[in-house]
Amino acid sequence: MTERPTQIDEEQRYVAELLRSFDAPAPARLHRRVESLVADHNKGPARRDPRSVGRAWSRRPFSVLGFVGAGAAAAVVVVVVVVVALAVVLSGSSSPPLNMHQAAAPTLRAATRSAPRQSSTNNAELTAAVNGVKFPYWEDRFGWRSTGMRSDQIAGRAVTTVFYSDASGRRIGYAIIAGHPAPRINGGAVFWHSGVPYRVLTENGAAVVSWLRDGHLCVISGRGVSSATLLRLASWSDRDASAS
Amino acid sequence: MRTLDPQSLTQHVDRLYRAAWALCGSREDAEDLVQETFTRVLARPRVLSGDDELYYLMRVLRNTFLTSRRTASRRPITVATLEDVVAADPRPLGQPEQALEMQEVYATIATLPEDRRLALVAVDVLGLSYREAARALRVREATITTRLFRARKQVAHELEPAPGSPASADAPVAPQPHTPAIRREETRASGVLPGRGTP
Repeated sequence: MTERPTQIDEEQRYVAELLRSFDAPAPARLHRRVESLVADHNKGPARRDPRSVGRAWSRRPFSVLGFVGAGAAAAVVVVVVVVVALAVVLSGSSSPPLNMHQAAAPTLRAATRSAPRQSSTNNAELTAAVNGVKFPYWEDRFGWRSTGMRSDQIAGRAVTTVFYSDASGRRIGYAIIAGHPAPRINGGAVFWHSGVPYRVLTENGAAVVSWLRDGHLCVISGRGVSSATLLRLASWSDRDASAS
Repeated sequence: MRTLDPQSLTQHVDRLYRAAWALCGSREDAEDLVQETFTRVLARPRVLSGDDELYYLMRVLRNTFLTSRRTASRRPITVATLEDVVAADPRPLGQPEQALEMQEVYATIATLPEDRRLALVAVDVLGLSYREAARALRVREATITTRLFRARKQVAHELEPAPGSPASADAPVAPQPHTPAIRREETRASGVLPGRGTP
């Protein structure tokens, strides 16, 4: 005679069956990213079987000549590092590095040029760009209309800023800093989305979000605009537009 | 002993994504966690002791998840979370009802204590055997059994309709035992989530 299942048995089976019934696939973009990781891995240099590593080391005979050679090489490396460091410190000719205060400053200034129009080839972008990195078109999606533009030269770098306004009159400045490598920005809180780190902090009483697009530092800021709104705008891309 | 074939990893993305979603309770975080897991796995050649690589991926997923949680707890200021501000993947899942149900159930799992959550994800979401789950999580099989039992019980309890909700208010005068199995049938019939409080 079989025993009737108890409510506890039912509960256990219910949860197990419920979870096993879920078969939602991962988003296509995640599949693409993993495939890209695997492809990059395959393109890399030939990797040695890890099991052979220990054996290879253990078979290598001790050599006094090799030991002396390694020591000489290390000394050369140390000398080169010291010389390069001294050259950098003493040269004084390079521009001081751009900091977040400087990078965010143009986003709160006035526009000096007319607003760029929506791109005729991509309706998620404006015609304005920095080294091929286009400014986004947000009017239809978020209600932020491009209202003006300005160009500045800060710490030896060209900074292009596009300004957007919403129906309530709030204003956002979106700056793209030209030049490689992009300046390093520190401080604030970092939020990751789709593999991209977004740095959030406050400058001159305004929330600021910075991140990289195709190796270019982008900074977005606006008085009276929350960091949440800025993050949402910053992390939106034309891929999202085409997917929705 | 065999070396892990990177090409074979792509077939596990969907299952690993669901496991990550249940661990994090958020689809965006799940995507990042899966990507980070694969990045770690591919960082150097891996030698597997068994045939199935899924348990190995679960182990790396667990380690990555725990590391990311520790890192997150050390971060300085938190003004908002991306869950609050960034829209989820705009593409809907195949079945909207199931998507909603998954969202609710996975969010419930994400509130479980870490050890129970990992056991539930390893066995019920990823589909590992108790032995594989024990190897992946580096605990004894008996521990997996206990944690799994408690995790399922807690999830079933959390998904029960709250007393006083419309479901219970409109219930017959002599309430019937509302077992999860029954609720599951109701879900299928009406397309309504268990615990949503709809009559």
